[in-house]
Amino acid sequence: MAENSKNTKLLSVVLLVAGIAGLVIALYLDFTRSSAAFRGPLLVIGAIAALMGLYFYPTVEHHRSIINFIFLFPLLFAFAVTVIIPLILGIFYSFTDWNGIRLTSFVGFGNYVSMFKDPAFIWSILLTFLFVVFNMVLINIVGFLLALLCTSKMRGVNFFRASYFLPNLIGGIVLGYIWQFVFNNVLIQVTAKWGMVNSVLANTKTAFAAIIVVYVWQYAGYIMLIYVTGLTTVPKDVLEASSIDGADALTTLFRIKIPMIAATITICTFLTLTSAFKQFDVNMALTNGSGSVADFMGSYLTNGTQMIALNIYNTAITKNAYALGQAKAVFFFIVLACVSILQVRISNKKEVEM
Amino acid sequence: MKKKIVSTLLAAAMVLSLAACGGGSSDGGSSGGGSSSSDPNTIRLVNGKIEVDAQLKKLAEMYKEETGVTVEIESMGGGVDIQGTIKGYYQAGNMPDIFVNALEPEFANWKGLLADMSDEKWASDTDGAYINEDGTVGFPYSTEGIGLAYNTEILKKAGIDPTKLTGPAAIEEAFKTLDSKKGELGIDAVVGYCAEPKDLYWSTGQHLFANYLDAGLARDDTTYIDKLNDGGKLDEKRLTDFAKFVDMLNRYSDPALLVSGTYDQQILNFASGKYAFVTQGSWVGATMTTDDKDAYEAAGSFEVGMIPYAFEDGIDTILTNSPSWWSVYSEGNVDAAKAFLQWLSEDKAQKVLVEEAGFISPFKSCTYIAPDPFAKAMVDYISNEKTSSWHWLNMKEGYAMNYTGQVFADFAAGNLDVDGFVKTMQQVSEACYAN
Repeated sequence: MAENSKNTKLLSVVLLVAGIAGLVIALYLDFTRSSAAFRGPLLVIGAIAALMGLYFYPTVEHHRSIINFIFLFPLLFAFAVTVIIPLILGIFYSFTDWNGIRLTSFVGFGNYVSMFKDPAFIWSILLTFLFVVFNMVLINIVGFLLALLCTSKMRGVNFFRASYFLPNLIGGIVLGYIWQFVFNNVLIQVTAKWGMVNSVLANTKTAFAAIIVVYVWQYAGYIMLIYVTGLTTVPKDVLEASSIDGADALTTLFRIKIPMIAATITICTFLTLTSAFKQFDVNMALTNGSGSVADFMGSYLTNGTQMIALNIYNTAITKNAYALGQAKAVFFFIVLACVSILQVRISNKKEVEM
Repeated sequence: MKKKIVSTLLAAAMVLSLAACGGGSSDGGSSGGGSSSSDPNTIRLVNGKIEVDAQLKKLAEMYKEETGVTVEIESMGGGVDIQGTIKGYYQAGNMPDIFVNALEPEFANWKGLLADMSDEKWASDTDGAYINEDGTVGFPYSTEGIGLAYNTEILKKAGIDPTKLTGPAAIEEAFKTLDSKKGELGIDAVVGYCAEPKDLYWSTGQHLFANYLDAGLARDDTTYIDKLNDGGKLDEKRLTDFAKFVDMLNRYSDPALLVSGTYDQQILNFASGKYAFVTQGSWVGATMTTDDKDAYEAAGSFEVGMIPYAFEDGIDTILTNSPSWWSVYSEGNVDAAKAFLQWLSEDKAQKVLVEEAGFISPFKSCTYIAPDPFAKAMVDYISNEKTSSWHWLNMKEGYAMNYTGQVFADFAAGNLDVDGFVKTMQQVSEACYAN
């Protein structure tokens, strides 16, 4: 038995050492840009050997935690590669003058200072907040009304549910182009009769309203589905009891249904909040940020309908200022993180109360 | 014991699946900018003119038959951000061997990563190559011209001689005549000018504005671009004259097109003979003879020409240049790529590029004439040496798209007058260069 354990230990140590050596050599080759074709397989074999070495390591005490680690490893690895490392790299780049290809110097907080001195960016932030408020209210109201409609005893309810949800299945870019055509070629025929010669997209205020309309149209169906689920979980007996007590439709709605789906309302509010914050595709396809503001903080702005996400994209891609765009993205991340933390806090509280 | 075997197998399967991802990412992930193909018999070209995709693929086939080297053509266009995509390729270690660059800052970005081609035979056969401190880094493949394009037949019917349109007063006079004879000539508007800021910012902010920078100047005259690149300064007098000219375009343009039109609409209407002038350059010839072929033939395949944007008296040049260049990535398949470019500049390939793709060849040895409706007008200006350069390529990135395109749109929509346009342009330019 002792002999056996000794053998396993030897095997495990050999595997561990060989595996780690393989990993190190492979990574070294990779970073020195060697063209050796075997570095990929070497990395893989190294990883397998190291993990097997860990698995065979003869210990009773730590065996369970080793197994736990091995099983968690794929998840942790994937999370690190796709989330943690890019995040750290992104924050790192925001302190440099990176242009997407190479970096020549560190600029400290220079990017952060210059982005808050730029009236165009401040405008984008304010516009985004305005957009979020409008959308949170409008999408929830429209979605809730649609949900009421789709839970009533109307004929063809399923057809309406499907058709209201349909815009959500079409991508934002496609929607944007479709609506651009509608605004520029169809709606203009109507508005021309009222004396508006130009398309609604040519004026900053109406263009902003147009983005809101399109986004509500796209997203209300999705929110409707969640409200439909909420409304159908309201217990039948409660509704029956209220109707026996003589409550009319409005009283039932405000005194029974809405309080019963308070949790759904919280979820929908935050869903619309975070998604409106990150609005990008409709904004890009519909106006691409065009529109002018005559005088904002003393300057003439040419990005009248540009929200934060699009501003970041344009800064990095079209203005070729990747590092500045990255700094804006870090700022955006902090804002979104705060919103998400708030959301989690409030949702947890609600759960305790119920 | 059995349990142990099963768990070992499971663990191994899991590790393998994980390793598969690890292996994949390690291949390209950190190698940063390696070329995609190590095979010397394959080169990859990223082309920025999607409209000639078919012709390039044909050339690639011819080249494969002749030399056995495979050329993969990857065409992008129609609003795709090509530089952004190529930067992504660079990060992913998936660089093409030949790719397209147009703007001066783009070449500056790739400094040290582009192969010098000054020793190639074609380099001595053209004036159009892109040369910087790294050497000859851009292969020219075409020549394009910016001028005010016109429909010869409509002008003839209206009794206007395009060679006499040499100053703003004469052009305004001609516009007035055309405007008064609209019904008789069967046109919708005198000029098809579109200042839509989202998709056509390049037409106003880059091509039209290029005339402010270069019209009437010698090819090496950099007065106004130097001024612009020095903190976004604009010459007030020249800009005011330019603004008055744009104001005239605003007044005589088709109102249905002016503020929210599209490129397709603009060219289709011109090809159908509904506009006497159109504010687009020689590249619309290709659109007229392909996408809008039916309309163009129905309108009688009329002759076209170009006049200079003479917003000041004495401006007598149109702006011609290679619209963009092909560069060879210095860590890719350099020799094969260079050989392919050399082959492209030679007779057999030029025949396809000129006669089928409609390019106006930048190579002196080329004798083919493009079937493009604008080819003759272009060749006339080039042989009379009445051309200016395209210094708008040296403007700051995003200048047109994020700044001035919108100002042209506001001007067209009537939110600004001539003075307002000039002032706003100055303010916006400074804001752009300050960031």
